[in-house]
Amino acid sequence: MTRVFVFTNHKGGVGKSTSATNTALGIAGMLRRAGAPNSRVLLIDTDSQAHATLVTTGKKDYGTDDSLYTVLMADRQNAAQTLLNCIVQSTWDTDLHVLPASPMLEGAERELMGIAGAPYRLADPLSRIINRYAAIVIDTRPSFSLMTEMGLIAATDAIVPVEPRYLETVGLMSVIGKINDIREGWRQPNLRVSGILVTKMNTRIRGHNHLLDELKTHSVLGKLLLGVVPANEAVSYAHQNHQSIFNYDSKASASKAYAQFVGKLVQRIAKGGA
Amino acid sequence: MPPKNQTQRIDELLGGVTEELLLGNPQQFEDNSIRVERLLLEMVRPDPVQPRRVLPEQLHFAFHSNRLTPTQALKELVQLVQVAARQRGRPFNNVLELLPNPDDESDEDQSVHLSPEEQLLYDLVNLAITIRDDGQVNPLTVVDVSQGVTQQFRIETGERRYWATWLLRDFIAGYNSDGMIPCIIIPIERSSVFRQAKENTARSGLSAIAMARQAALLVLTVHGYEIPSHAVSNDFYRQSLELDLRGKREYTEAVLSAMGGIDKGRFRQYKSLLQLSDEALEIADRHAIDEFRLRPVLQLPYDVQTEMVQQIIQFNLTGRQVQEICERGLREDDNEHTETSSPQVKRFVKSMKAINSNDEEDFVRGLISEEKTATMARARIDTTIEFLMRVKSRLTGE
Repeated sequence: MTRVFVFTNHKGGVGKSTSATNTALGIAGMLRRAGAPNSRVLLIDTDSQAHATLVTTGKKDYGTDDSLYTVLMADRQNAAQTLLNCIVQSTWDTDLHVLPASPMLEGAERELMGIAGAPYRLADPLSRIINRYAAIVIDTRPSFSLMTEMGLIAATDAIVPVEPRYLETVGLMSVIGKINDIREGWRQPNLRVSGILVTKMNTRIRGHNHLLDELKTHSVLGKLLLGVVPANEAVSYAHQNHQSIFNYDSKASASKAYAQFVGKLVQRIAKGGA
Repeated sequence: MPPKNQTQRIDELLGGVTEELLLGNPQQFEDNSIRVERLLLEMVRPDPVQPRRVLPEQLHFAFHSNRLTPTQALKELVQLVQVAARQRGRPFNNVLELLPNPDDESDEDQSVHLSPEEQLLYDLVNLAITIRDDGQVNPLTVVDVSQGVTQQFRIETGERRYWATWLLRDFIAGYNSDGMIPCIIIPIERSSVFRQAKENTARSGLSAIAMARQAALLVLTVHGYEIPSHAVSNDFYRQSLELDLRGKREYTEAVLSAMGGIDKGRFRQYKSLLQLSDEALEIADRHAIDEFRLRPVLQLPYDVQTEMVQQIIQFNLTGRQVQEICERGLREDDNEHTETSSPQVKRFVKSMKAINSNDEEDFVRGLISEEKTATMARARIDTTIEFLMRVKSRLTGE
């Protein structure tokens, strides 16, 4: 079964797009190196700001006939074919394919509101082409909107990127609770909270260390910790230059942290287990 | 794309982690086995050079040059059949009307002769109904030919099931499908013309023309010709007429076994059918005329081959009848242009050319044995000399 990783957190600026894009590229590269028969990865950008689209494809002027918006608005019968038609190749890697976001997605939420089956408008067509990919990575917008729900319904693994300053147990539990609500409410037994990725970690700040230690010792959340990405200038510069962190500076501490994180996900893909 | 040195650095970084994670279990990704998956119908395409064609030639080319979508191609086919059916006095509006009415017992003993197009659509509708009622039991065999973001699978076997599924989806009301079709996916490196040929010949109903195309594909492959991924004209297959298996002994066995275990002679006979004109080829393929009945047609000039093939269909001629008609036709044709001599004269003239002085003894013995006595033999020579002298004097006059 193809794993669908969704990066979600209703807080903005926690590194969802950066993590989603670098993870998608990392999985493709790592699977190829491991000699996997299929190393294609699809990145789906559901955020109308289209940051993930811009950095991975070099453009963000996707519109009514070549983006996720097109897929959501297509006839149910033609949606899968439309999805295939809208997928573009990333400039980062030939095995990284992108379903671009569009500013039109903002309006799509309003247009789809009240239409029967609207939350499944991504999951349905995606399920028909899913086997073509070794993994799918979905970037979401910083809110639990219809678009984010669509991403979660289509996913198998929710990953919560979080900054140390938001690491309070209560806050994290609320995100996880929301994901569980979607799992139960929409009857998606395959969806699970698969991990927490701590981003922008600064070990020189005492509060960060304290909150991370607290997380590690927590009975539930501690088991979910999948990686800690240090605060690193390379990450911001890479994003600014529309490059992956691995491309921009493969020796940077953030690159190594992302590589370790990706390694854990690839292990799951390979074993097909939890 | 990232510059090469950058790619190397990424590879080093990811490679380190990869080795770590695969430690102790390096084979876990090496899965090149044949898979069975449900694929989106739109991702699957028939093979344009598949010798066994389902659609009539005109639609085949229009579809493979992307001038028609699958739905449009089927719509054209239905219209084509509607015209043919109307001409035969059995018009229909809905494809389901092609199927016999189970409640109507009066039709039981009536056997209706369907045109090839009617038969094709009838078979497709029947297949579609079976799929609707029982599901797709046999998956298609497809080859993964995806490139970049273009995800595509080329059908190796099961083109009829592909068209039946489209028919079911777009022409049979009340059917709700998820638009997927079960397929056995063969990795591209395992696909070959030989494999396809074996799959084709293992099934019955491959027309002689399809066998000819199949033979041509195999010959062209062993001679290193690249098999195109678009629809090709008969001239592409005809290139094989100048080639044979003589220079490719190492492949002979594989080629003949892929053709269903036929011998070299039969292989040549099939391949020779490509000498037929385009129109004759198309009609013969559509009506699945066997090789034995087509073989004599090859002697005929290009411009009359189609007519002969049409006569085979119209009068349901046997192979021997076709041979006789063709030979007679050729003889009459020759008579029209040149006044030919009688067979005995032809034989005598030919033997005059062949005989030389060394045959003298032999000639004497033969003559005496034929005429019984030396006197009779001498008399025969005298009359022959007289005859030859008369001929000579005529030649002088001419």
